[in-house]
Amino acid sequence: MHEMSIAVELIRRLEELAVEHGLLRVEAFTVRAGVLRGIVPEALDMAFEEAARGTVAEGAKLTLEITPARARCRLCNEPFAPTVDSYLCPRCNQADVEIVEGNEILLLSLEGASTNED
Amino acid sequence: MKINVVKNVLEANDARATENRKKLDDAGVWCVNITSAPGSGKTTLLEKTIPALNDEGLKSTVIVGDLQTTRDAERLGGLAVEVTQINTEGGCHLNASQVAAALAGLDLRGLDYLFIENIGNMVCPAGFDLGEHARVAMLSTPEGDDKAAKYNTLFQPADAIVLNKIDLTEALSYDKTRLFDDLKKINTAAPVFELSCRTGEGFDAWLGWLRAKQTR
Repeated sequence: MHEMSIAVELIRRLEELAVEHGLLRVEAFTVRAGVLRGIVPEALDMAFEEAARGTVAEGAKLTLEITPARARCRLCNEPFAPTVDSYLCPRCNQADVEIVEGNEILLLSLEGASTNED
Repeated sequence: MKINVVKNVLEANDARATENRKKLDDAGVWCVNITSAPGSGKTTLLEKTIPALNDEGLKSTVIVGDLQTTRDAERLGGLAVEVTQINTEGGCHLNASQVAAALAGLDLRGLDYLFIENIGNMVCPAGFDLGEHARVAMLSTPEGDDKAAKYNTLFQPADAIVLNKIDLTEALSYDKTRLFDDLKKINTAAPVFELSCRTGEGFDAWLGWLRAKQTR
């Protein structure tokens, strides 16, 4: 259940951004996560719902975009897309890769009511 | 009002991990984060590794993570090295802040190695940098020969792979070739150390790898 740690960190970022932008509450937000993070969307929803209670993000709607993995071969520099069960470089047939994308968890946007919209 | 940002959600963990690594670098301590399922033999590996390094004058300290209990710390406490236990109270992986708190209580002077025994879990620890210099993914023959394929997010970024309990290979009809075939598609860069913590077989290569990493 690494989703709980991710939910807790998400709420911290949302709280910081809400203060910075003068939001009274966060109503919705979008997260982009790399597929290699192995986030189960339902588990993240549940963890977020639980962890957000009593915070500025309580009840906020979470939209999760899962992005595919991209790798670069450390031996021949070939960029390629690993599959779910293989990190083999299509050019040199070795699995010595740098993950370029697929491990990120990014908060992309948030929506909410601001203090000066009353 | 909608606000567009591009914010790394784990920035706090990543920043703390970088601080941990800097602190270890400054002290000349080389740190390895050991990850595996429960029962692969992480604690036993340390029980065998630390005295062997100590015999060569190489000093270690251990940070051990568990959901509950101090049993691993008690086991390792007999080794005359400092052991710091982190209880995550149900948390499924260690994070960099917990390690930072443990480091704050440690005198790193004169130490060569920090071993971090992560929570027994093949999924969650993979995603959290602790500030280590290398990550070891461990597995053992009783777990079956398909684990690297099933949990490839643990094995793909590993700097070394340890296959423990090879003394049971025959009794379990463990098919090593299946594991190695899977690793050919997942990680061809990491050395694989086949060893038995019980018999000591294969330990020389593992210790040699650790020795070569401490370049001070």
